[in-house]
Amino acid sequence: MIEVYKKLSIKKGYQYLLLKIAAFLLLAFITDFISGSILRSFYFKQTSGWEYRTKYSIDGTRADVLIFGASRAQQQYNPLYFEERLHQSCYNVGRDGEPFFYYYAVLKAVLKRYTPKIIILDIENGVFKESQDSYDRMSILLPFYKSHPEMRSIIELRSPFEKLKLQSQIYPFNSMLFKIAIGNTEMNKKRNQDIKGYVELRRVLDEPIRTVDFLKNKYAIDSNKVNFYRSFIKDCKQANVKLYIVCSPYFIHAVGTDISMTIAKEIAGENNIDFVDFAKDEIFLNNSKLFDDTVHINVAGSKIFSNKLIDTMILKNKIF
Amino acid sequence: MIFTSIVFALFFLIVAILYYSLPCKHRWILLLVSSIFFYMYSIPAYILVASFIILITFYAAIKIEKAKVSEKAMQFYIAAITANVGILVFCKYSNFFSSSVFDSINFARQKLFHNTEIWNNTLLIKVVAPLGISYITFQAIGYLIEIKRGNHYAEKNLGHFSTFLLFFPKIIAGPVERAHHFLPQLQQIKKFDFDKIIIGLQQILWGLFKKLVIADRLSIYVSAVLGNAENHSAISLIAAVIFYVFQMYADFSGYTDMALGFAKILGFDLMQNFNRPLLSKSVTEFWRKWHISLSTWFADYFYTPLAIAKRDWGNWSIVYAFFTTFIVLGFWHGANWTFLIFGTLQGLILTIEFFTRKIRKNIRKKVPMFLNNMAGITFTIGYFALSLIFFRANSVSDALIIIKKIFTSRESGIYIENPSIMLFCIFGILFLSIVECKKEYFNHLFTFSNNKYWLIRNGYYCLLLMIILIAGVFDGGEFIYFQF
Repeated sequence: MIEVYKKLSIKKGYQYLLLKIAAFLLLAFITDFISGSILRSFYFKQTSGWEYRTKYSIDGTRADVLIFGASRAQQQYNPLYFEERLHQSCYNVGRDGEPFFYYYAVLKAVLKRYTPKIIILDIENGVFKESQDSYDRMSILLPFYKSHPEMRSIIELRSPFEKLKLQSQIYPFNSMLFKIAIGNTEMNKKRNQDIKGYVELRRVLDEPIRTVDFLKNKYAIDSNKVNFYRSFIKDCKQANVKLYIVCSPYFIHAVGTDISMTIAKEIAGENNIDFVDFAKDEIFLNNSKLFDDTVHINVAGSKIFSNKLIDTMILKNKIF
Repeated sequence: MIFTSIVFALFFLIVAILYYSLPCKHRWILLLVSSIFFYMYSIPAYILVASFIILITFYAAIKIEKAKVSEKAMQFYIAAITANVGILVFCKYSNFFSSSVFDSINFARQKLFHNTEIWNNTLLIKVVAPLGISYITFQAIGYLIEIKRGNHYAEKNLGHFSTFLLFFPKIIAGPVERAHHFLPQLQQIKKFDFDKIIIGLQQILWGLFKKLVIADRLSIYVSAVLGNAENHSAISLIAAVIFYVFQMYADFSGYTDMALGFAKILGFDLMQNFNRPLLSKSVTEFWRKWHISLSTWFADYFYTPLAIAKRDWGNWSIVYAFFTTFIVLGFWHGANWTFLIFGTLQGLILTIEFFTRKIRKNIRKKVPMFLNNMAGITFTIGYFALSLIFFRANSVSDALIIIKKIFTSRESGIYIENPSIMLFCIFGILFLSIVECKKEYFNHLFTFSNNKYWLIRNGYYCLLLMIILIAGVFDGGEFIYFQF
């Protein structure tokens, strides 16, 4: 009896625990690998939806003109007008809610594959604002970590342990299960009508213009974002891509200028990059009907804005 | 340093390895040092307040025990209780009280003297309540009461006593541990116990699942809707309020599971804090199963003495004790009128249930058990959800806006900005409900978590881990109960 007890004591000691944990980890590793591989396969097989658009922006498009930015890029620049008047293919790689890290990561992936002729970068108020949310939102780039080494340094900014977390094969697809499932069906094609990346906004704003005092609206600047902005300009210059930085219209009466916008203008000026500012354009400030809300123009506004921007580009450079 | 962070995982791994490497009699020193480090990790100055509470309580307890004259013991007892309550009130409630006084004065001046000039609260102090202050003081007060009652000996080792109050798995959000349950465990020789460690790891994984997959996922929807209630339909608000019940439960019980799991790995058994409260058939039963360590603390040191003191009032002594206890319990959660209303609502329903217990018992006999259970559970969750509107709101008017919209809004449709989030929310609630129902009603049947076959048992935990990786919210933030 004592012998049995002794054996049991040894059996259930440190080594036994380590062995059990190792066996569990092995099982977890196998499950993670198989599940992650299945998810990866279905992720890259998507044919519609936002994840598909991201995948196409990073790995698919070979358009001559690319439009970068967040919602104000995605929902305001209609590529069809650019194609018609510039006689160049165009794709809108903007993505709603994404911060500057996303634009720069996509640019790096694009420049690795080919060199577009023109890049339009939409800059919005608060683009360099310090916010943890901006880092969290980079999660949509996680599926590309493995296959795109050029993006890794940007993605790893999410957290000090991001590299460790990305050892898991499932983690890059965190929270994407249902999106991937839907993206592999025809549902999104019926639901989200995007025109070469552009998403139309159809509401009409019906409210008086409000005043925003940017002199009172101070916030901390994220140096990472400013550095990536500089790198964005530098990479475009090095690749001989014609870069336009644009501030699209707002339906607000601005007192002073937003700090991020001031920084963006200064850096563009230092690098001799064209900065086109529509924030105080009278056509838009006097017509709320061209807006969906105070910071997004609707489909009617988009037509006017896209054409005005093209006019400016042609006038400024006489390139087409 | 929150339990769900990788920093904490590394911290705990180092502590656990060192713990089992040290001789048994010195292990408490490591626990104390690591607990102090854990407590000081966010704001080091917090330790000064905690140290003050420890010293006052420790020496007062010894004096109370040694005092030969009961009046002298009473003096030490009152002084120590006053110091503990004073610190809690100062850190947590002083601004609330001074603001309430100034608001009342301004209101009276306006109504009585038509004076519209507003007096600003000049007594506002910039004080941030130290983390877990409510838990530390409550454990200290409970200890003093037990010493005074003669139910427990006064601890003579300051290190042991400090470890009791500062033990890192429970310091931030409980359980509200009792000295007679915890202190003897410090003196026991804790051999490496494989089974306990495995149980601890399983508890941590389940807690992690509840927090990351259920609570933080529901929080996205709840915040989007309740944070902007004026722009949402009644159906969306009802969905968000029900989701908040599950979020709250998954968040707090998930934290507790992890706390119990970490403690178990170190050889300690902490008090159970939850016993499937969402399957309660009445609010009275609910409070026996929800935040058990706090509700039993209130029952032992507040409710029972109050009810006994007023026993001449008959049934009304119970009503009096219910209301007083739950108003204080509500207020314990924070310095806001919303918490007072939350507590009052609990007191009200417990009183109603107390007076209708015979009628309900008779009805139960005539209704099939399944229907009876379903009705009881639905009512309990519904009532708790309603009271949680006050619990979550920043102000009473915010809560009333939500309630008004729920009952009067004619807008149709439910807010689903991202179908994926909604599907994850529903999946989380269903998974939790199935696990809880299985444990409550069918625990004797097939089990995955304790299956005798290694592959099935570990396959289940592997599945939990995979679901965490695929459906967990990794940037969700702190636990709800950290603020209390």
